Amino acid sequence: MVKNWKKLALGGVIVLVALVPLMTQRTDFLTWFTLILLYITLSQSWNIIGGYAGQINLGHVAFFGVGYLAARYLWLFGVPLPLALLAGAVAAPLLALIVGAPVFRLRGVYFIIGTLVFAEILKHIAWTAIPIASVLPAEYLTAYSLVPRYYLSLIVAILAVAVVYVISKSKLGLGMMAVREDEDAARTSGVSILKCKLSAFIISTALAGLAGGVFAYYATGAYAGSVFEPIWTFDSVLIVFVGGAGTVIGPIIGSVFFVLLQQLLAVYLPGGFHLVVFGVMFILVVLYLPGGMVELMGKRRR
Amino acid sequence: MILEVQNLSKAFGGLMAIKQVDFTVDEGQIAGLIGPNGAGKTTLFNLIIGLLKPDTGKITFDGKDITGLAPHRICQSGIARTFQLTRSFMHMTALQNVMVGWVYGGGEASSMKQARVESERILEFTGLGGKYLSAAAMLGLVDRKRLEVARALATKPKLLLLDEMMAGLNPTEMEDAMQLVKRVNESGVTVIVVEHVMKAVLGLSKRVIVISTGEKIAEGTPQEVVRNKQVIEAYLGEEQYSLD
Repeated sequence: MVKNWKKLALGGVIVLVALVPLMTQRTDFLTWFTLILLYITLSQSWNIIGGYAGQINLGHVAFFGVGYLAARYLWLFGVPLPLALLAGAVAAPLLALIVGAPVFRLRGVYFIIGTLVFAEILKHIAWTAIPIASVLPAEYLTAYSLVPRYYLSLIVAILAVAVVYVISKSKLGLGMMAVREDEDAARTSGVSILKCKLSAFIISTALAGLAGGVFAYYATGAYAGSVFEPIWTFDSVLIVFVGGAGTVIGPIIGSVFFVLLQQLLAVYLPGGFHLVVFGVMFILVVLYLPGGMVELMGKRRR
Repeated sequence: MILEVQNLSKAFGGLMAIKQVDFTVDEGQIAGLIGPNGAGKTTLFNLIIGLLKPDTGKITFDGKDITGLAPHRICQSGIARTFQLTRSFMHMTALQNVMVGWVYGGGEASSMKQARVESERILEFTGLGGKYLSAAAMLGLVDRKRLEVARALATKPKLLLLDEMMAGLNPTEMEDAMQLVKRVNESGVTVIVVEHVMKAVLGLSKRVIVISTGEKIAEGTPQEVVRNKQVIEAYLGEEQYSLD
């Protein structure tokens, strides 16, 4: 009985969310929802490598950016949008494969710093190599509607959540979590550490690249460098930890809170203040509530 | 013999941790590995399981040369190990811990559903029935030790290396643990037990190997070993050990 109730509730939520553009024309609402859904995708993609596999990849934005560039330029060049999105979702894991084997040789803090440095290098290349902002051509701008962007963001978000759900119940998920918990114990239980890390990395970056493609379709104008700014990584990391790392629902809850806070606080306080709030929440979570909001919800139930 | 260790040596910088150690273990046996602290018993286990690579020497398991293989391959070949300080996957449930062993260990591939069923069976076997869904972090020391054994058994080993399982157990718990080791052995698994608790080693083992400062100083039946002068000097002290 309980299981059916949950599935029904889930179906209900998805239907409601799908109906939003039909119920409102307000661009602010639609923008909030579109952004929430984008952040769900981006944070779930980080959840795979950071939450489940326990690898703190601070270069996540590099894969978002590469996905954006591939999708944006192909689409503006005339390639049909689905193909452009696919290209983004493939370009990112290709980069991950090239970078993955060497970077996973780094241990602990060095891995974290290494990933961050890698993304920073790509950021500098992007700012230097493509200094001119990419703005939608006039025909695209006059025809611009948030509605298809909303639905694309929704579909991709559902896909991202589905991927995380499937992983959480799969053999790969078990391996990833074992790697996160104790590498030597995992090895002596038959787990190939490198294989699990690389698999997590590829799936994570493919989704990040897809998120980049969604943003490429959404953004009316953007500097190439701006999609490589580390803030995208840190937003994802904050959302995952505050929501509940290594859970399916955590990043969803986190994304909703994050975007709402961001948009609402922007009205009353200087830009970026939402980060202070989330930063404090992050510290509180790490110190007192490692399971994030999911843990908080669980405690209330008991 | 199921395991043959030949001329095994391992140095860490200038320190010879294991020095030309030879021994064999026969299939179906429970063998004991004893020696003073720092003798190299855990290092020996790490060498057999592949977490460390030997400098010289050869390890043959079930007819296959496993020297230098990666730990996950050695596990899949049929050797499992528990750790002295339990290393359970803390943020995973007991069931998930054991399932890792089942899906990644030796033997044929199976579905997740089958893995769950089999893992529950193994948890029952090790006395953790009813605690499947507890997070490992929530389990007490004794249960975590059981969980280590359960996870190791899930990899379907032919040889199980138990590293100081009795540490921290009271006499009743120790009796239960010894019974568990016997049940494991009776199910067809060869066992090597590293122990300091003499009662456990002598009560369980058919054969005992004694290591001191990286070298093998004696090998034989428990009776022979406790009377060996070198062993008494290096390890046991002057007391006579009763074997009942």
